[in-house]
Amino acid sequence: MEERDPSVVARARDGDRDAFRMLVDQHSRYIYALAHRMTGSAQDAEDVVQEAWLKVHKQLSRFEARADFRTWLHRITVNCSIDLIRARRHREDAHDPADLETGPLSERGADQQPTPERVTASGQISDRVQQALGLLTALERAAFTLRHVEGMSIDEVGEKLGLKSSATKHSVFRAVRKMRHALAPFAQL
Amino acid sequence: MTNHLSDDELILHHYGETTPTDLARVTGHLSSCDDCRSAHDQLGRVLALVDTAPPVEARPGFERDVWARLEPQLDAQGRGWRQWFGTPQWALAGAVGALVMVAFMAGRLSNGPATVSPEPLQAVNLTERVLRAAVGDHLDSTQMMLVELVNGDTGHLDQLANEQARVSDLVAASRVIRLSAAQSGDVAIVDMLEDIERVLIEIANAPADVTSNEMSDLKARITAEDLIFRVRVVASEMRQQDRTDREAGDRMPRRLPTS
Repeated sequence: MEERDPSVVARARDGDRDAFRMLVDQHSRYIYALAHRMTGSAQDAEDVVQEAWLKVHKQLSRFEARADFRTWLHRITVNCSIDLIRARRHREDAHDPADLETGPLSERGADQQPTPERVTASGQISDRVQQALGLLTALERAAFTLRHVEGMSIDEVGEKLGLKSSATKHSVFRAVRKMRHALAPFAQL
Repeated sequence: MTNHLSDDELILHHYGETTPTDLARVTGHLSSCDDCRSAHDQLGRVLALVDTAPPVEARPGFERDVWARLEPQLDAQGRGWRQWFGTPQWALAGAVGALVMVAFMAGRLSNGPATVSPEPLQAVNLTERVLRAAVGDHLDSTQMMLVELVNGDTGHLDQLANEQARVSDLVAASRVIRLSAAQSGDVAIVDMLEDIERVLIEIANAPADVTSNEMSDLKARITAEDLIFRVRVVASEMRQQDRTDREAGDRMPRRLPTS
């Protein structure tokens, strides 16, 4: 597969601008999707992509040739997403929408929730998942993504997000409860 | 069955994070309690749904936009920063001073009585070109520093402390260049360098215990004054002018030795 071609990475590391552009062309969509999953925002995801490529460019000389470039890029993107989320944490803390958890989702807009049959019929489960992820705060989303998608342990998630273990667990628990609340009807199918 | 497992315990168990001390109790309970086992299974199904969601797609042409935004920053990153800051600090201001001195001497020598027709023009061009080269390098270094500062994590306050000595050198270099530009009557460059110097001095003199808010204010000011953009524009104009001069110089007849 061309995107796994180590010669492109090697040329980029040697300062070949065309090779670097090739890497940008090949991997930007992948890291955008990753950044969007972490941040939940198109604009933030674009900023993370930019920042990630700048870091790659700066650190490429230190990249170990035998390592997998995409794995390295993935880690840089996750770290850039976390940097952005941490930088904004204090803003979110000021208006953490805790009310999202206080009542059933149905009480906050039953008309917005399609029935399981409608969802299945129209193949919109993935949309519903995105909506459910949209109910999470930035911190919950980051903690949940790192635990559930990236497979980090809760201790590792806490280390990444600069949280104590209890606060990390709390974020993951809240996130999972919100996801379960939003998606439970479809899990019965 | 009493003492059902809590939500938190079910979630931890789903992720394989039940503590060793609780593991026997939790697994034992799940094997004997239909309600908890059902809740645990349902949790697994819900979370499996999350994995089925396809990734969010970037818009068409996204890669092109990424490159268009990225390339100018790569240029800045690749040139001035490494070269300039790789130089020992004591050499930084000296190097600029030497360049300006060369420019000054070139101008002085060219004005001597023995010069003939095309020489004054050539010497003035040389003076301007040397000055432009010094300003261009200085602007590249400054731009890179500002970009890294604005894009840096506000939480990483040690980043500022690490760069303060280098920023002091940039201030010193800027002063030398600004004085030379003032003597040349280049008001636009003088104005811009003054604006940059004010910010650089703030950075150089920032207290060791600068707060996140102060760092954010500084970044906001850099952004509000469009400093990076202005630096980029002037640096670009310098390079363009330098290319034009070089092409013009190549077309100009070379002076023969007068001895």
